[in-house]
Amino acid sequence: MVRKIKKAAVIGSGIMGGGIAALMAGAGVDVLLLDIVPFDLKDEEKKDPKARNRIVTAGLEAAMKAKPPLFFSKADAARISTGNLEDDFDKLKECDWIVEVVVENLKIKQELFARIDGIRSPNTIVSSNTSGIPLKAMSEKCSKAFKENFLGTHFFNPVRYMHLLEIIPGEFTKQEVLDFVADFGERMLGKGIVWAKDTPNFIGNRIGIHGIGKTMQVMLEEGLSIPEVDELFGPPMGRPKTAIFKTSDLVGLDTMTHVSQNTYDMCPNDEERDVFQVPAFVKTMVDKKLLGNKTKAGFYKTEITPEWKKIRKVIDPKTGDYVEYGKADYASLAAAKKAATLPEKMKTLLYGDDKAAKFAWKVAAGGFIYAANRIPEISDTVVEIDNAMKWGYNFAMGPFESWDAIGVKESVEKMEKDGMKVPENVKKMLASGAASFYKIEKGKKLYFDFASSSYKEVKASPKALNLDTFKAENKVVLTAPSCSLIDIGDSVFCLEFHSKMNAINKEMVEFMQKAGDYVDKNGVGMVIGNQAGGMPPAFSAGGDLAYMLGLAKAGNFSEIDSFIRLVHQGIMGTRYSRYPVVAAPFGLTLGGGCEVCLAADKIVANSDLFMGLVEIGAGLVPGGCGMINLWRRFVESKPGAAKITDLAAFFLPAFMSVAQAKVSNSAADARNKGFLRATDRIVMNRDNLIGEAKKEVLKMVDDGYAPPLKTKITVLGREAVGMVWAEMQNMRGGGYIPPHMEFIAKKIAVCMSGGDVPSGTAVSEEHLMKLEREAFVDLWKTENTQKMAENIMKTGKPLLL
Amino acid sequence: MREAYIVNSVRTPGCRRGKGAFAATRPEDLLKAAINGLMERVPEIEKKDVEDILVGCAFPEAEQGLNIGRVIAQIAQFPDSTCGATVNRFCSSGLEAIALQAMRIMAGYCDVAIGAGLESMTIVPMGGNLPRPHPEQVLESPDVYISMGMTAENVANRYKITREMQDEFGYHSQMKAAAAQKNGRYKEIIPTPAVRFKEKDGITVKETFIQDFDDGVRANTTLEGLAKLRPAFAAMGSVTAGNSSQTTDGAACSLVMSGEAVKKFGVKPVAKIVCYTVAGCRADEMGVGPAYAIPKLLKMTGKKVEDIGLWEVNEAFASQCIYSLQQIGLYEKRDLWLSDSDKRIINVNGGAIALGHPLGCTGAKLCAQLMTEMRERGAKYGVESMCIGGGMGAAALFELCN
Repeated sequence: MVRKIKKAAVIGSGIMGGGIAALMAGAGVDVLLLDIVPFDLKDEEKKDPKARNRIVTAGLEAAMKAKPPLFFSKADAARISTGNLEDDFDKLKECDWIVEVVVENLKIKQELFARIDGIRSPNTIVSSNTSGIPLKAMSEKCSKAFKENFLGTHFFNPVRYMHLLEIIPGEFTKQEVLDFVADFGERMLGKGIVWAKDTPNFIGNRIGIHGIGKTMQVMLEEGLSIPEVDELFGPPMGRPKTAIFKTSDLVGLDTMTHVSQNTYDMCPNDEERDVFQVPAFVKTMVDKKLLGNKTKAGFYKTEITPEWKKIRKVIDPKTGDYVEYGKADYASLAAAKKAATLPEKMKTLLYGDDKAAKFAWKVAAGGFIYAANRIPEISDTVVEIDNAMKWGYNFAMGPFESWDAIGVKESVEKMEKDGMKVPENVKKMLASGAASFYKIEKGKKLYFDFASSSYKEVKASPKALNLDTFKAENKVVLTAPSCSLIDIGDSVFCLEFHSKMNAINKEMVEFMQKAGDYVDKNGVGMVIGNQAGGMPPAFSAGGDLAYMLGLAKAGNFSEIDSFIRLVHQGIMGTRYSRYPVVAAPFGLTLGGGCEVCLAADKIVANSDLFMGLVEIGAGLVPGGCGMINLWRRFVESKPGAAKITDLAAFFLPAFMSVAQAKVSNSAADARNKGFLRATDRIVMNRDNLIGEAKKEVLKMVDDGYAPPLKTKITVLGREAVGMVWAEMQNMRGGGYIPPHMEFIAKKIAVCMSGGDVPSGTAVSEEHLMKLEREAFVDLWKTENTQKMAENIMKTGKPLLL
Repeated sequence: MREAYIVNSVRTPGCRRGKGAFAATRPEDLLKAAINGLMERVPEIEKKDVEDILVGCAFPEAEQGLNIGRVIAQIAQFPDSTCGATVNRFCSSGLEAIALQAMRIMAGYCDVAIGAGLESMTIVPMGGNLPRPHPEQVLESPDVYISMGMTAENVANRYKITREMQDEFGYHSQMKAAAAQKNGRYKEIIPTPAVRFKEKDGITVKETFIQDFDDGVRANTTLEGLAKLRPAFAAMGSVTAGNSSQTTDGAACSLVMSGEAVKKFGVKPVAKIVCYTVAGCRADEMGVGPAYAIPKLLKMTGKKVEDIGLWEVNEAFASQCIYSLQQIGLYEKRDLWLSDSDKRIINVNGGAIALGHPLGCTGAKLCAQLMTEMRERGAKYGVESMCIGGGMGAAALFELCN
């Protein structure tokens, strides 16, 4: 039998259940979403199916309205049918996988699983998304056959965006079932799998909640404020900006307290048990319903003055009042922020000697020690713990990677000096001569296995090509500070960006030409891809404005003009090269990053794709043929035999996309917006992207690749001017567009329509490239564009002039 | 000079664009229902007696294109001898068609004719299917292409017509229409066959039904509700969906005959068409058109405002309608237009804010409404007026026949 998930059931339609249902639907699975019949039905409602499904209907609606969106495309909701646990229970028979996501109550779960055991088809897999209750207890009353097909699948919130899926084997789960769910989770649902044990709160939340508890405990001891702690345990430690307390506001203080209490109750022998007892001020907050974002007040609160001014306040743990706050001011923090790399930032902060540094050290070291002490209790390897924290909590580095970053030996000495109890397994590791938890040897990433006291290979899916591995094997054939060309085997080369946010700069543009020449000589095709981290990660978040702003300020516009000529040459070179080029975008793919993809022969995109031509926010028009290639997609997305009568119907959405800087909220949405063609591929798991793109290159080679013919492009022409100018008068009159934005929007209209030619004229690419270049240079000549560009560079936010 | 009479005047209901009852019905079928309804109401006249059909339409293209005047004569099974033409003066097109037929009759060119108006705003969108402003003119001045909503904002801003005034006017329009609907005042409505398409078990099927009421009337509108609506055309504006006309599908027509023909066929006309005139104004405040057209009409006919017993002033937007009424001194006389006033003589059964403004149809539609109420009330003189996109106003004077 080859297992397939044709139909899955999700029981429980809360935020997690709704998220899992949305993700499964996005993966093409038919989903049955069930919830309870409301307890409070009136007599006349008791037979009304609508009333009986009220809870599940509301749950699905909430999932559809969620922001950021849980669905890749709202159309996917058509794959979800709803029902309730009384009238529709029998339908579970038809399901290949049943995921339980009901309230965290042992008795309710036990009863539900016993019922499922009674009707389940023999091959149906059943899993629980519990975050803390032991599987053993939940399935106690079930048959052996049930237990063989039962496991824990713990998703993280928001389900679509969090990469982590913890899989918890039950005592009797069949290996075949575990392997299947892991593969399905990885390939179809796009998740990173972490193998956990059946221990309270598994890995992510055990370590994560300990970290939050520890931070609060030490914060109160050392007398730091909440915003100070968030600044320290944010980006300087490789953690998200929401750090500790903003993350808690996001999760909800009630949920956090519940998970914490659960560990306290169920782990009586935990050496840090007191950390899971939340501080008194947090308990008071929960009692007062100050639960975080969902109650509009948690650790932080935004007040709005009668003048509509926002004032951000934070709770003072001593008084329980909300007070205003400023920036943290510590020498160690300032130095850490300035440090170039994450390991340097961490070292600067943790080995500093002011109050902030001492605090950070106490918290971080405590966390490292706690994590090491959890092996083999919650996990056999450091890898699982690191992955759980990276994928479930968005840490740039897990605890062991962080420990490596600051030097294990050095830090252990400091721990001992400070009277901290260094875990035996770590001591043993150092004693064995091993100096780090990870190392790379012969291109393979190894981890230190405490059980065998030796290094073992970090196992990864064969589909997941890792650029770091190729680099370690010396496969980099060309390199510059911001980008490299890597041999990824089979004569395919990967052009990797590695600048800040992977913004495209002059060096990359020049490099692309060299790389192209190299591949032409030595390879069969090229993948444009990288594996940047972050939340959201950036394939390439735009173009580097500093260079051009400098030229503009110096009045050197001819240099800008020649630079754009160079960009055009590079971009169109990609399009017409004699070998296939496949772009592999994911996450933020904006401006220049988007333009690079639009020029490729094919796109293999991750399902989480935020793609758009957003240059107007920087006071500019796209300068890398983005408008040309987007328009080409629109006008050529039809059989040649069909003639477009109303070119404006195609022009307007393409124009609006650029003039309003629209960004897709998924790859499916990018396809809807015209950035992705029907033939471009969507891959659920980001880790597999480079591998799939490489396969695509090889397939195109096998098919007999021929570069696209250089054809003319049919444009709307001067009619666009009539339409856009007339509409701009209404927008201006209505106060919907500031003057310089109108000026730029009109330039976009001219560039995308081909300017002063009759509707339906077929113009050359050179004609459109000239318009784009002129618009680009003209804009740089204006003071307002210079101001807008400068503003977005400094603040990251558009200034609308 | 010869005299021209309205013998009968009818309309289909006005139904909301997109979501309304006529959204899936071809415009020709709406007009066919109106014209056949008209002919049934005047049994003395046979189709062969009608010499010509003029149809007013603001966007005479696609389904309502070609020459809809001649097309409809054939669809409605008039003999080959009945001719037809299309007339376009945007929002007064329907009235223009009736007035042109009257003029042809007065000049002695014709004796029995139909003037009609038609617009399916669902099927042919406002602006037409292929709007293409002239690319060089827009660089010079795009005013002639300005959106109607912006002109309403301009009127509100330039002449200080407040949001409160506009909302109040809109509210009363709804209340008047709701009362008229309840009391069966719209005797000019022809129950109209319409179609809708529904998916049943995966197959889309056509259903036929009869529509006999205006489906945009909101009896439960409140001032508080109106006050909550967001401005529709300007970020900080005052013109909203609640104080603007509804975009609507509909058709209307009138049978126009010479005095001689009236005698010959022995029909009883409703009213005499006394005069029709147009006046120009700035395109970016086209809504003020009636403020020029009405005084011009009164001057030409030697009438005073007080002589007029019934008014139909089109409510394209509350802002422009209020301003136009202010200019002829009627707005301040609130008793003349409030929904709860027995003395009301302006838009007595509600206006386009409640009943809709099917552009090219409106002139013929308001004529049908005016004829009904003049007859019911015995009002001697009635005036119909409206503003016109591009910057014009039109007005016509009718005199009730004894």
